[in-house]
Amino acid sequence: MQGPLIESLARQGVSRRTFLKYCATLASMMALPPAAGLAMAEAMAAARRPSVIWLPFQECTGCTESITRSHSPTLEGMIFDMISLDYQETLMAAAGHQAEEALHAAMKANHGKYLLIVDGSIPLGQDGAYSCIGGRSNLEILKEAAQGAAAIIAVGTCAAYGGIPKARPNPTGAVSVSDIVKDKPIVNIPGCPPVPVVMTGVLAHYLTFGSLPDLDDKGRPRAFFGETIHDRCYRRPFYDQGKFAKTFDDKGARRGWCLFELGCKGPVTHNACATAKWNGGTSWPVESGHGCLGCSEPDFWDAGDFYKALSVPAHPPTSVVAASVVGATAGAAAGFANRAKKNAARKARQPITVADLEK
Amino acid sequence: MNELQFLTWVRGPGLDIAVGIFLLGTVWRLFEIYTLGRRKDLAAPRRAAGASGLHTVFRRSLPPHGMLKRAPVSYIGGYIFHIGLAVIVFLGAPHIMLIANLTGLSWPGLPAQFIGLATVMTMAAMLAMLVDRINKPAKRFLSTFEDWFVWAVTFLPVLTGWLAVQHLLLPYTTMLALHILSVEILLIALPFTKLFHVFTLFGSRWHNGSANARKGVPV
Amino acid sequence: MTLDVIPIHVVPRHTGAALPGEPGLSGNAPPLLRELAEQVRHLLETGEPSAIDLSALPLTPADLDWLREKLGSGEIAVTLQAGGESTLDETACAGVWWVTHRNEQGAVASQFIEVAFVPELVKAHPADVAIGRERLEFMVSDL
Repeated sequence: MQGPLIESLARQGVSRRTFLKYCATLASMMALPPAAGLAMAEAMAAARRPSVIWLPFQECTGCTESITRSHSPTLEGMIFDMISLDYQETLMAAAGHQAEEALHAAMKANHGKYLLIVDGSIPLGQDGAYSCIGGRSNLEILKEAAQGAAAIIAVGTCAAYGGIPKARPNPTGAVSVSDIVKDKPIVNIPGCPPVPVVMTGVLAHYLTFGSLPDLDDKGRPRAFFGETIHDRCYRRPFYDQGKFAKTFDDKGARRGWCLFELGCKGPVTHNACATAKWNGGTSWPVESGHGCLGCSEPDFWDAGDFYKALSVPAHPPTSVVAASVVGATAGAAAGFANRAKKNAARKARQPITVADLEK
Repeated sequence: MNELQFLTWVRGPGLDIAVGIFLLGTVWRLFEIYTLGRRKDLAAPRRAAGASGLHTVFRRSLPPHGMLKRAPVSYIGGYIFHIGLAVIVFLGAPHIMLIANLTGLSWPGLPAQFIGLATVMTMAAMLAMLVDRINKPAKRFLSTFEDWFVWAVTFLPVLTGWLAVQHLLLPYTTMLALHILSVEILLIALPFTKLFHVFTLFGSRWHNGSANARKGVPV
Repeated sequence: MTLDVIPIHVVPRHTGAALPGEPGLSGNAPPLLRELAEQVRHLLETGEPSAIDLSALPLTPADLDWLREKLGSGEIAVTLQAGGESTLDETACAGVWWVTHRNEQGAVASQFIEVAFVPELVKAHPADVAIGRERLEFMVSDL
């Protein structure tokens, strides 16, 4: 295990064992077999630093917060030592024209080779006027930056699927990166915000194997999004036993039973929360007693009530009264029609007498 | 439309449409049937009508003498799948939750494993009856499109529900959505096919039983 | 900050290992013992180490306690200070190691049961040994 990275880390006082340990944890998060940690460590140690450009669009900076405040600054920071982050509005010291220059310099110097990270959705309404940087619309900037990118990583549900800005009634006409860029490989890392280790894991994969990870049909890396929250949930055994919390403060809730009946979207949500956890492995939504909201799925904001179980109607059926009234009216009308028919038949009846038969 | 949007649709607008058509059709047909009326029987009753109506309701659920041997699949399969359906629908935890959500009524359910067993038995019985219907020339001759259709719309909810719970064939989200959709199709078909026996069965048995008693054939 | 700082504690019913079927146990832990037996057999036959990634399995905290209690503790306990503390403890079954990696905040980052004569992480890397030798030689030359 040797190379430029391990030497640079050693200079910063990060030992080989620390790096090995980090890779073992990363491999575990990526659901790779335990032996893969060592292989990853060896490949990454020897990797060269790719240039990365990070563009923020219609976003809340929650994604950046999530990644920069992730649990172990030195460990997650290691990944940032492995890349050359050439433009990140929120983090960079430069501002104004200097920042724009840095962006263009990086795009020119690494044309065709840089990784483009995007967070936030792209508004199309009013010719994109809802979100501009340096007087240019997000749409324009994205199209320009995407041209020279080797690949694009859409960080957060907004960049990946439109997210909350795209929720009904979508006032800004927000769309996702993949709605605009069609000719570049795109990795979606959805989540509101996304799990930090997923983001570093994708970068680690790129550094280790020189390619993007295997993606599912929604463009998400299978390693982290291959299984549902429900399948990896530590409360899953209670679901199988039929033990459910009925309210947020009943006996079941205190005993840590399944939150399905309280509206947990775990069964239909693909994400890594159950294994990667949050806040330095402290906890995650279900462990803290609240069901999953499904934030890593497209249009999760419009997917019905957060607190209603998946197996019950999203809202009480609205058609009950109208349908009953129409049905009763139709039934009554049919009844009258039938009665009229019967009466007509009775009137039209011509009794046959013995005399008739003898004719 | 992705699978989550599909699920959201079947839980929302899809359900509205299905419940609407179901209620409309059911209320319509019940109104029509009960306003039809019967002509007054002017003859003196041969025997005072006792509990023949009630007796018939139960007796018609039992096979007549010798019939169990002649058509075992129809009777035994019929028992298994009707009881199985009732167990699944009324004692399965997610279904009780649905009923509780719609009506406020709730009762304890059975463990998931038991419901799983009931589901497998129900499907086996229904498949056996389908094979019997195909194999027996007389039954096949008497079968119309409606019979095959009604079998399918009854079987599909059981199958998709089971596949969803067991995580088979398709992702859970898609399977759950298909399960709900299949139930919605069943709801729509119910008032306009022979499935309407859910509502008319006991009423007509009662009527036949008491009419027969009046004519001197009490049970 | 660790979870323990927050003054909420789950109080176990009684001390000692719980049995499957008791509250908190999912019944997913006992099959792992079989898996371990197979992995130890493989280690003896081929010398290849293997591991079970505990964070990848649906195990409740009670399951982990049960498993830990069952496996017991052996003669060696390694503590590693590298980006947070890691413990590599031999269990009562020699060759089976309980490995817990903690981050700098003390939270568990990943947890494995390794089946190996010595876990890979414990061994010193030749490159590090070479640095150590340089240091020794430097000290010798200074004498």
